[in-house]
Amino acid sequence: MNRDFRTTFFTVIALAICILLQSTILGRVAIRGVRPDLAMLVLVFVSLRRGPMVGQVSGFASGFLEDLMNVSPLGFHSLLRTVIGYLFGLLSGNVFIDPFLMPIILAVVATILKGILSGIVSALFGIESSGFITFTGRVWIEVGYNGIVAPFFFALLNLFRVFKQTDKEGA
Amino acid sequence: MPGLFEGFFARHRKGATLAALVLVSLICLLLSNRTVVIKPKEIGLSAAGFFQKGFTGFFRWFGDTAGSIGQLRAAREELAAARARLEEMDQATREVLELRRQNAELKDQLDFSQALSPERIAAEVIARDTDNLFSTITINKGSRQGVKKGMPVVAWQGDIEGLVGKVVLVGPGSSQVLPLYDPQCIVSARVDTTRDEGLVAGQGKDRGTIVMNYVKKIAKDKISYGDLVVSSGLGGVYPKGINIGRIRDITAPAYETSLVLQVQPIIDFDRLEYLFLIGPMVEGPPSAASPPVVPAPAPQVKP
Repeated sequence: MNRDFRTTFFTVIALAICILLQSTILGRVAIRGVRPDLAMLVLVFVSLRRGPMVGQVSGFASGFLEDLMNVSPLGFHSLLRTVIGYLFGLLSGNVFIDPFLMPIILAVVATILKGILSGIVSALFGIESSGFITFTGRVWIEVGYNGIVAPFFFALLNLFRVFKQTDKEGA
Repeated sequence: MPGLFEGFFARHRKGATLAALVLVSLICLLLSNRTVVIKPKEIGLSAAGFFQKGFTGFFRWFGDTAGSIGQLRAAREELAAARARLEEMDQATREVLELRRQNAELKDQLDFSQALSPERIAAEVIARDTDNLFSTITINKGSRQGVKKGMPVVAWQGDIEGLVGKVVLVGPGSSQVLPLYDPQCIVSARVDTTRDEGLVAGQGKDRGTIVMNYVKKIAKDKISYGDLVVSSGLGGVYPKGINIGRIRDITAPAYETSLVLQVQPIIDFDRLEYLFLIGPMVEGPPSAASPPVVPAPAPQVKP
């Protein structure tokens, strides 16, 4: 099986599990109703490791799945996650991911990017959501939460061979 | 020409894929915003509901197993107490049955018709929204159990029943509820003490309160902080008299003819576990799943 296809396949499965966790068990560790966006962290991690193609296709597939589960309009999350996957994929091979600082920075940047993109898409399509209406408390809670979780979560994802970058690809 | 196209695609594979995926997303957004695409979401909801039920059940099982060890000792003591109470209840039940029989006889004699009461469907919260952008609540009942789109949803917390929201998406075995604090949730309401009417709308979860608009400025002196806001029943979506919240702030903007009331919802949405969906009116006494509505203070009669 083509390695990119295999990675994309397992990434979508990992993202689906994260989405299910977010909608169920992670509600118990929510801070003011805000849960960490594990699916986005997986997407950022995989995109950085495997490039824009894997990033955008995985992002689209998982986003579409999320749209089917949510009250959000079909295409909303798929658009956000496609763009995030692509943009972080462009950094592939150019960013050294240390165990601590870089995951925090990447998670913070990705969450803010998600906030900006969702704001733009919501404004353009007249979508009313109760989350990122403006950059108020909840967004910054999620930024902080994702930043705290990211080093541990990236360390966990590092254990999976399927997400690892080969030497040739990394060059 | 095909060669030229293939060459272009080979050179710009990543960009072309991105453009195609973004285009598909945008088309979906356009279509679903016009509410043309409904079926795929329902299919997705039912499939997701299956896994969400599994996840919730799995983690609850672990939690319950760990908790049950400690609860076993307490359960033994409770059992002894319960047996003693059972004796008392047996006696009480006999008295209640006798009273019921007498009540039915008296009603027959007075020719009272059976009161209309709404049918209620009890449901459990199995999931919330997958991220923090939207704010739906997924429940374990769907069209197979008689859930219909637009059904009002209430919950009990402590001794008080309060409005949670309404059903917006129905799958075969699960449904999604739009909570009161969502900006898309609008309820026709009135201040219980003064009977002044207005519209309650969500402001997002950030604010912690919902807003009541279109209350006439003339009512400003009569309305007080802490006054109860209930559904008015106008519009036909929500039944009359369901508790919504208490007034936290009253402002009278100079540029508007109506008041803006900030209302603290009765329900703590982070603690929701079980909900009741209110169906159409049916004849007969309220069912066991239909606890009596907490009596609201009597309306003040204005001269």
